[in-house]
Amino acid sequence: MASPSFTELPDDIQVNILSFLTPSEISAVACTSHRFSPLPGLPSLWHAMCDRRWGQFTSPASWGPNCTSRHLYRALDQWENLIGFWRRIGHGHGSATGAHATCHPLLFFKWNSNCITGSQVSPCTEPGSYGVVKSPFVWLGTSPDGEMVSYRQLEEDLESEVGPGSDLVPVSVSFVGPNHLVVEPNGGFRSGDEDMEVAMGIESGSPPDRATLEMYQYFANRTSPCSEKGVRRQRRRERERRKSGLVAEHFVRITHYCPTPTRPLEGLWKGICENRSLEFYLVAYDDVGGITCRRVGEPGAQFSGYSPLFWTPNADFIEAPFSKEEYKIYTSREHITGDSSSLEERLVSRMLFINSSYDLVIPDLAGGSGGNLRNVEGRVWEYDDGTFGFGFLRNDFIIDLKHIALNGQLLDSVAASRM
Amino acid sequence: MADNGGKKITLKSSDGEEFEVPEVVAMESQTIRHVIEDVCAKNSIPLLNVNSKILSKVIEYCKKHVAAAEAAASKASTEEGTAAAASVTKPSDEDLKTWDAEFVKVDKGTLFNLILAANYLHIPGLLDLTCQAAADMIKGKSAKEIRKFFNLKNCISPEEEEEIRRENQWAFEEEKRTRAFDAYA
Repeated sequence: MASPSFTELPDDIQVNILSFLTPSEISAVACTSHRFSPLPGLPSLWHAMCDRRWGQFTSPASWGPNCTSRHLYRALDQWENLIGFWRRIGHGHGSATGAHATCHPLLFFKWNSNCITGSQVSPCTEPGSYGVVKSPFVWLGTSPDGEMVSYRQLEEDLESEVGPGSDLVPVSVSFVGPNHLVVEPNGGFRSGDEDMEVAMGIESGSPPDRATLEMYQYFANRTSPCSEKGVRRQRRRERERRKSGLVAEHFVRITHYCPTPTRPLEGLWKGICENRSLEFYLVAYDDVGGITCRRVGEPGAQFSGYSPLFWTPNADFIEAPFSKEEYKIYTSREHITGDSSSLEERLVSRMLFINSSYDLVIPDLAGGSGGNLRNVEGRVWEYDDGTFGFGFLRNDFIIDLKHIALNGQLLDSVAASRM
Repeated sequence: MADNGGKKITLKSSDGEEFEVPEVVAMESQTIRHVIEDVCAKNSIPLLNVNSKILSKVIEYCKKHVAAAEAAASKASTEEGTAAAASVTKPSDEDLKTWDAEFVKVDKGTLFNLILAANYLHIPGLLDLTCQAAADMIKGKSAKEIRKFFNLKNCISPEEEEEIRRENQWAFEEEKRTRAFDAYA
């Protein structure tokens, strides 16, 4: 059996092999000979490339029969960076009219079979519920003509999978750097449009953080359109923007939102706190072996300092069995939970010492079991199902945390109720 | 754990060599599975398009993957999975990936023959693995190097090549932008 050369392989196998390549590598193959020069124009190849890269997340074929696979590839190549959780920054509310003035802290992008949807995620306001309210925010997909488009949804009861309807504002969803997103009303995103024009001026106060500084740099570096056609287009878009009442909204990526085996507490969590309302928390590991937990999206406060909910310099767990005193500390507490029917005593597999304040407390100087120490000291108890609860020595309850999302799926989501 | 009593089947290569394998290993090939299921009591299956060298490699692949699947299944039934463990890539997955990577470290001719065999025998995992390996041989090469790899005569003029390159310039720009993302990630 003589070894075949590449060109002697069946056509569908050649496409199969080439589907693993990137566009520039396809270009290089196209440059080898006349035989391969039509390659970049071959729809079946782009289709295979889309399937190869994103087939496990979405169904590229159903993104629209009129959509060129080549354009789809370009769009998905950029839009795949949206997937995951984002945190709203800046003062920009959804609408300048204040109709949707509630500042939902979290934005969650996920794949659907024929589009990408971004939803605002906020805690359910029903007391004692772990539910999260998911309301449609942004829709990215293809128009019936096959153009790549992105829309901002204003009404909360629209199905996110259905195509654009009447209360949709075309927006451009663009990246200012890989972890910084801007959603602004400006006409739909066109995959062939290299020059993304931008509404001048952002309504935010003085920037306290690096992300907003990046933002200013991005806008400052944009060149104004100098052609007359460009100026007219710019003015039309300004009018559209003002009509819709929307302003540019900025988001920063939450890079680590799920726990990992080496960082079991890392990520986004939700818990019912002492006043029975649900809150979101973000736990981050630092480079020196410590952990910090912060609330996500405190309304009003743009960046509520850096005061943590709890922190610890040492992320090494203490394994069960624990000392008698520790068991007493745990079992003497009340779990704040939603329903009264809930859990019998949760099995604690590991625990951690935590502090609730960055104020320096030196145990030896505080003198024995100093009162100061008990004020800030607390515990994290990790349960055998991977969730955990925490509490402080100064009170006697435990806040149990659950995952907000697992395996790319939002948990316990409820539909937005009509306001 | 061969609960099925280890029923064996004989596969015969195009050059007449016979390979006796457990039926469950042979059934990794959809083609062979159909033959076994459609025609009962088939003891020896001739494979006219696959020679002994390639067939022995294919059988090696199937044996390894069947064993790995059985090991994973027995592990899952004896252990309680936790939510955290659900997102873990089990060590055995990593081992299998390493084994696969070693498996495709063969010369171009053998690789292409393996691709053809995987296609003919309809073994999806092997087809994807070998096609990816072939693509990896193309990655990073210049047009000239790819031409050599494909055994193509150079029949294209530099001007024509330049024109194709220009037409596809956008592809190179996309690459740059995606790499910028990777640098931050």
